[in-house]
Amino acid sequence: MKAMEVHGVGVTFGGIIAVHDVSFAVEPGEIFAVIGPNGAGKTTLFNAVTGIHPPTHGHVELDGREQVAPMTRQTMVELLVAFLLVGVGVAATVNVERLWQASVIDNYIYEQPFPWGSALADLGRAVATLGWLGGALPLVCGGLVGAGAAWTNWSRARRSPDHIARTGVARTFQNIRLFNELSLVQNVLVGMDARMRAGFFSALLRLPRFRRERERFHAEAMKLLEFVGLADRALEAAGALPYGFRRRLEIARALAGTPKLILLDEPAAGMNPTEVGGLMALIRRVRDRGTTVILIEHHMKLVMGISDRIHVLQYGRTIAEGSPDAIRSNPRCIEAYLGVEENG
Amino acid sequence: MRWRPGPIVTILAIAAVVPLVDLVLPAELALSEAVRTVFLYAILALGLNVMTGYAGMLNLGIAAFMAIGAYAFGILSCEIYPFQLGFWPALALTIPIGALAGFILGAPTLGLRGDYLAIVTLGFGEIVQDILKNLDSITKGMQGINPLPAPSIGGAMWTSNDERSWYYLLLALLTLTVIAARNLERSRLGRAWFSIREDELASRSMGIRVERAKMIAFATGAAIAAFAGGLSASVLSSTGEPNNYDFQVSILALCIIIVGGIGGVAGVLVGSLVMVGLNSIVLAKATAWMAAHGIGSQGNVMLSPNNWKFLIFGLALVIAVRIKPTGILPPKLERGRV
Repeated sequence: MKAMEVHGVGVTFGGIIAVHDVSFAVEPGEIFAVIGPNGAGKTTLFNAVTGIHPPTHGHVELDGREQVAPMTRQTMVELLVAFLLVGVGVAATVNVERLWQASVIDNYIYEQPFPWGSALADLGRAVATLGWLGGALPLVCGGLVGAGAAWTNWSRARRSPDHIARTGVARTFQNIRLFNELSLVQNVLVGMDARMRAGFFSALLRLPRFRRERERFHAEAMKLLEFVGLADRALEAAGALPYGFRRRLEIARALAGTPKLILLDEPAAGMNPTEVGGLMALIRRVRDRGTTVILIEHHMKLVMGISDRIHVLQYGRTIAEGSPDAIRSNPRCIEAYLGVEENG
Repeated sequence: MRWRPGPIVTILAIAAVVPLVDLVLPAELALSEAVRTVFLYAILALGLNVMTGYAGMLNLGIAAFMAIGAYAFGILSCEIYPFQLGFWPALALTIPIGALAGFILGAPTLGLRGDYLAIVTLGFGEIVQDILKNLDSITKGMQGINPLPAPSIGGAMWTSNDERSWYYLLLALLTLTVIAARNLERSRLGRAWFSIREDELASRSMGIRVERAKMIAFATGAAIAAFAGGLSASVLSSTGEPNNYDFQVSILALCIIIVGGIGGVAGVLVGSLVMVGLNSIVLAKATAWMAAHGIGSQGNVMLSPNNWKFLIFGLALVIAVRIKPTGILPPKLERGRV
């Protein structure tokens, strides 16, 4: 089974075709590079895969499964609940004074215990007399609005970046996007959020479950920071990190969700040769953990040095795919990207 | 490492000691109604801080949730209604009712950001007031709902004469709110809120369910604000008229968290002391002092500091933001765990 399959993916923004009919498959445990000149659509392709700009054509499969969340029984129940809640809410709001009068005011006699039974019965009778215009129409209209909104919400969320991240695809960004005011550990812990189970009340009441989970994930986050070589700075603010370290932190944050697939968008941008060497070693170690790596890069030494296969894009279209040696000797790639060597 | 009390503990401890020492403040001032307002606004601002400070959603209608809490408390506890719950159950019920109201407003507005959300919440604040005014068969319109019960423990009533009990009750409830806010802040949820505030797209790409986290922030903030509302209704023994929960209240709560330090609990506490203290203690005292010394007491409205309060508020806000844009006690990066 492939780790990821991209089937004829196209992304258009209005009339602009950013990516056109790109297909490729990535094997598990592979380091797969996507290269191409500036504006070739590499980052757009990443955004399509991670759900930031869902593809206008084609689709992406992970582990042989469609990325889009399926319609489950739970979804249908939720739609029904939204219909009923909003419908009843609207109908009750429209008739609030009448219902209040019939159930509460008519039954309440000062200084006598409130007759709940007959009040509820009166409420039921009042609801029954609402009729078509007062009761059913607001109920249906409100219900349709509620269910429609819930439907829209669901269909947007089914391919949203958070859903895709939770299916095991992590990414880094071309222009590093760390949470600058949070410490390094906390940045990594944000990446672990999808795996945490303790909810609102266990956090509010500091239940044992919350404490156990906190200890466990904190230890794991420290291990990840050690893995990328940042453990000694764990409690500093991410915004204060030097540039080269930020990339490493972003990789640690992406790894925190234990993804099957990690997308690195120009990880070597702005790094000096020593840092690039360290980054290459780090990417190899990430792969050795069992994570499939897909990267966009301009730094040829890095791409040629670590990639198993390379996919070349130009103007949003595929022009070649193959091993580093094959790409290096492919005349179209040389022309488009690597540049023709001048003799003499 | 040796434990040292942080700013929050220090502030609450000082607040606990103040009424015992007559030196700092004369007893009748320390325990007067003015000080209660400080506590109520501190709770309200803690609620706003969950939405605006933690999750970064600007809310200009927090007073609406306070109104919902106050009226819910009124309807549940006042003797002209059938429910007639006591102080404690009615106050406890304002929390889920406020959360529900936050959910109702939050659900359709999740997609809105920044200014747009601010406009919607502003509108919500006005709509709630209008509903309370016009639905007078239920809310008693402009009269407000009264009388409302004072708290009691084990049958012993707190009357409005017993200033000291009120003071400590409010302090205890404020402390509870502070603990709740801190616990949420230093949890998975708080971290998700901070990450959304900093970079929504990045946190979404890390698998944070942004809509859900925002929804919880909205409902939590609304629940705390409603709690403050219920409490204030009990303090006044009346919900007051709907206009008591107008835009000024929302803005004052916002000023509190901006001046104090947005996103931190300690900042909110200091901010409410400074802003509300200015409003209900300093200005009120100054007016009284001037009247006592025969300065501008009769007729001349320009000579009453109380009439200048919004000018002074604005000036204080401008000065605070110019001198210390992050607030008096800006939140510290959580260096420790989680």
